Amino acid sequence: MKSNLFKYNFITSFIVALCFITNGFAQKTDASNYRMKFKFKTVKQKDNSRLLEVSFIGQNKKNRKDKVPVYNAEINFYNTLNEDEKLLGTSKTSKEGIAQLVLQKNQNYLTDKNGYINLKAEFKGTDAIDEEDSEIAVKDINLELNLKEIDSVKTGIITAYTIDSVGVKTPVEEAEVIISIKSMLSNMKIKEGTIENGKYEFEFPTDIPGDANNNIIVYSSIEDSDDFGNVIQEKSANWGVFKKEIKKNKNTLWSKAAPLWMYIVLTILLVGVWANYMYTIINLFKISKEGKELILNSEE
Amino acid sequence: MNVKTRKRELVKEFSPMLEKTRFTTKIWIGVLLAIILVGLYAFALQVIKGHAVTGMRNNVVWGLYIINFIFFVGVSYSGAFISALLHFYKTPWKTSVSRIVEIITVLSIIVGPVFILLCIGRLDRLYFLFIYPRIQSPITWDIIAIITDLIGCFIYLYLTFIPDFAILRDSKKLNIPIWRKKLYRFLAANYQDTPTQRKKLHKITGTMSKMVIAMAIVAYTVLAWIFSLTLQPGWNSTIFAPYFIVAGLYSGICVIIIAMYLTRKYFNLEKYIIRSHFIWAGAFFLIISLLYGYFTFSDYFAKWFSHKSGDINLLETLFDRYFWEFIFANYLGVILPLVILSIKKLRTIKLITFAAVIGVLGLWLNRYLIVIPTLETPYLPIQDTRPEFIHYTATWVEWSLTFAGIASFLLLFTLIIKFIPVVPISGIIDREREINDAKLKSE
Repeated sequence: MKSNLFKYNFITSFIVALCFITNGFAQKTDASNYRMKFKFKTVKQKDNSRLLEVSFIGQNKKNRKDKVPVYNAEINFYNTLNEDEKLLGTSKTSKEGIAQLVLQKNQNYLTDKNGYINLKAEFKGTDAIDEEDSEIAVKDINLELNLKEIDSVKTGIITAYTIDSVGVKTPVEEAEVIISIKSMLSNMKIKEGTIENGKYEFEFPTDIPGDANNNIIVYSSIEDSDDFGNVIQEKSANWGVFKKEIKKNKNTLWSKAAPLWMYIVLTILLVGVWANYMYTIINLFKISKEGKELILNSEE
Repeated sequence: MNVKTRKRELVKEFSPMLEKTRFTTKIWIGVLLAIILVGLYAFALQVIKGHAVTGMRNNVVWGLYIINFIFFVGVSYSGAFISALLHFYKTPWKTSVSRIVEIITVLSIIVGPVFILLCIGRLDRLYFLFIYPRIQSPITWDIIAIITDLIGCFIYLYLTFIPDFAILRDSKKLNIPIWRKKLYRFLAANYQDTPTQRKKLHKITGTMSKMVIAMAIVAYTVLAWIFSLTLQPGWNSTIFAPYFIVAGLYSGICVIIIAMYLTRKYFNLEKYIIRSHFIWAGAFFLIISLLYGYFTFSDYFAKWFSHKSGDINLLETLFDRYFWEFIFANYLGVILPLVILSIKKLRTIKLITFAAVIGVLGLWLNRYLIVIPTLETPYLPIQDTRPEFIHYTATWVEWSLTFAGIASFLLLFTLIIKFIPVVPISGIIDREREINDAKLKSE
């Protein structure tokens, strides 16, 4: 009963999703027209928790631009070692076709003799869609980012190490690292480098603007590493240099004071016109005065 | 030519207009007063109950009042323009019509701005406009321009009246009340028609006439900018300022022709306002109607061709809800006067006046179509879809006040021509003096 319900929900969701794409109407809307893309990745996050993420998307075999996320598919995440499979958790794909599972930093993993954690994501399949699975093996790396001024030079120090079962720290021999800062829309890469013997030092640029308080959020990340997967660490520092004074709009169309030329033009126009009025009135008085004198003379 | 004798003759000729009030005139004044009283009642109602008694709502915030305002102010500016042109170029046939034009100019600039006051929801805050002016706002420019123009027009009109006030002051046989004689004496400002006084007066009137032409262009341009500097569909047009000036001249010449016809008919002024006056006015009317038609076509054609969604919505509204008004305002209102004025056989006094009536009605409707349909088709969708919020229909209050405004204009016109000759006596004498001088020179 449970499986029927699942089947019903899942197929309906897939067809509903298909209906929302404009490109698919002319073609058959069954899943056989779509090639399933099942991507699995892991990210060790800044709080040392681990994110397991599956992206499950159907791509039209004839039209590659036609992509339909698989919605509501149940994904099981495992930690495997040889024949053993330890279920870490289950998650359903979102409307974007993403299933995520967050493992806390104190999670115990089964590791092989080289210290690798084998992770597996599995979709069991339905009548419409075949089963899918994907595996990755990563070492549990600890990435630390420190930002400090050394001899007045703003310096970033990244350390990376692994800890074995008895708690011994082993520096990472080599890993590519990217340093970026948080920007308005995405992270802006400012440096790339290689961690050697567990350490990488870099000089922080001195011309990076910060937020309103000059704070900058700096990220150090290892991306798509064969050994470590994705690892990210962040730190904030008050190293922003952009402290531009907000310029008040003076003499503009939208400020309190109008543009200068407006005052000048208006003044010239008004002075010109009103001066003419005054000239006219003065002459009128002269006419009146002359007339009055004439009347007085004639009376005399 | 004996000037004094000639003045007496002319005063005698025009004295019946100034001394007696015919029974028909009394009825006419009574009717006008009744219309004004109804208007005053409507105004009181509007003040007490607010703008809810009008058809104006959140969406269509301007209605008949602003249309009347534009119309009257346009008439005034064009009147000033035409009057100043007549004076500036010393047109031979100006004498007979100049006073009519001058009176229309001043009365329109008095009545017009009253309508803008009716648009203001909180009249008690009117003085805010003066104590917190915003120089960047075309509304402020318009207030400055109207006040300056009003004063300028008053001064100009007064200057042209002075010689006649002096003639009336000196006419002992004129059978008028003492207060009027005193008033003529005061307004004549000791003018004795001496050569130096005449020269001075001509000089300052000439300067004022040039100033009035410039003021008319500036002020009506500013009025056009109130619309065209906003981004509303149909208003945001670069040709609006010259279009408004041409439209103002169009309405002005129409009103002048109608006034000429009525005054001529009522006061039997066939001797002074002759057919050639109508022919000349008709020729000017023809030129302006061609220009007006060209501007109207150009404005709407650009809107249609550019196919901006706001403009297209506006044009759809114009050709749907306002179809007949649009046809009358922009086709009949332009083409009919053009046909009448272009064909020589049709250029009779009556038909020219008929063309002017059609022109006035067409232009008033054109102003209506500029203001209302634009406000009914804003860029942002209308939030409240109640029909009275989307569409504008003028209420009896607005119509009463509109007719009260027209009645006030007509009443003041009637009273002024009872107070001062509708054909300037001084103008006739000046003209005769010029002819005499020219004769003497040729001899």
